Amino acid sequence: MGLAELRKRLASFLSSLFRKKKHIRIGLYGPVNSGKTTLANRISLDWLGEEMGKASVIPHETREIQMKENVIMKRGNKSLTFNLIDTPGIATKIDFENFLGFGLKKKEAKTRAKEATKGVIEAIKWLDNMDMVLVVLDSTLDPLNQVNITILGNLDARKIPVFIVANKVDLKNSSASRIRDAFPNYRTIGISAKNGFNLDELYDSLMKEL
Amino acid sequence: MKKQLRIKFLPYEKFRQNNINSVLKDLHENTIIIIDAKLNSDEEFFLIRETMKKVSDTFSGIELSSLEFKSKEKMNVLRKTLDTVKTGLLEKMIGKKRGMTIIGPADLVRKVKKNPEDVLLYV
Repeated sequence: MGLAELRKRLASFLSSLFRKKKHIRIGLYGPVNSGKTTLANRISLDWLGEEMGKASVIPHETREIQMKENVIMKRGNKSLTFNLIDTPGIATKIDFENFLGFGLKKKEAKTRAKEATKGVIEAIKWLDNMDMVLVVLDSTLDPLNQVNITILGNLDARKIPVFIVANKVDLKNSSASRIRDAFPNYRTIGISAKNGFNLDELYDSLMKEL
Repeated sequence: MKKQLRIKFLPYEKFRQNNINSVLKDLHENTIIIIDAKLNSDEEFFLIRETMKKVSDTFSGIELSSLEFKSKEKMNVLRKTLDTVKTGLLEKMIGKKRGMTIIGPADLVRKVKKNPEDVLLYV
């Protein structure tokens, strides 16, 4: 190994140390309407005292990357500072006609669809910038869909640490264990971002991991 | 006018050689594409990204599902390790992951149900 290569490796090692301490980026990824923004709002409200974005039942409400910098999480005598990044839901199809059912006018629906496609592209681009990802899944739905599998596969390939957040466990037909069974190699935490159920376990797990 | 459904069997090697636009053109023309390998996760994201660029009033995107063939045979740790190494080497040699991928236009494929070992398309 030449001196230049050695210097490069050392610089990269030091920069990764620096990044770990100063700029941890935690991303929220998942399919559309799984509750990513509701969770982002909950985390942001818990540790910054303010919400992050608007959550809605209309799909693709989040169409741009949202970021809250310097979120300081405290657990006991430890603290963790990170940037929280909420991403648009990943989808393989976006049909403007689906938005019409939510009372949007045709022109609004088409604009929303166009913005949503750009949002998916942005979310995919941003994946390489993450230090850790919370994959937020709706625990009332079948977890074995291709979007979930593709997101997890990409995180694996990039060796980015992952927690699966089985959201909406407050709902009647939810099942966090169905998600655990579908993806047994991942750590899965069942929560309700809406009412805050089990968020403490999520925070403790993040603290331990980072 | 009724839309005609076409099914195209595409060798993985050809998928890799082809411009992604030609795959998307087929999907625009009501073609379901079946590829004889599991796409890797980068290829899946690339396909989704390129699809999003093409979404329009007449093309809402794709349904995608891939299967990876994994042995379900009960094995001890040593055999399992050997099997993993053997499969890894084989896949390296042939340059593709054992399995299959199905891609269809979302306007045509209404639903995809994936079981661990098979895929059902509702057209």
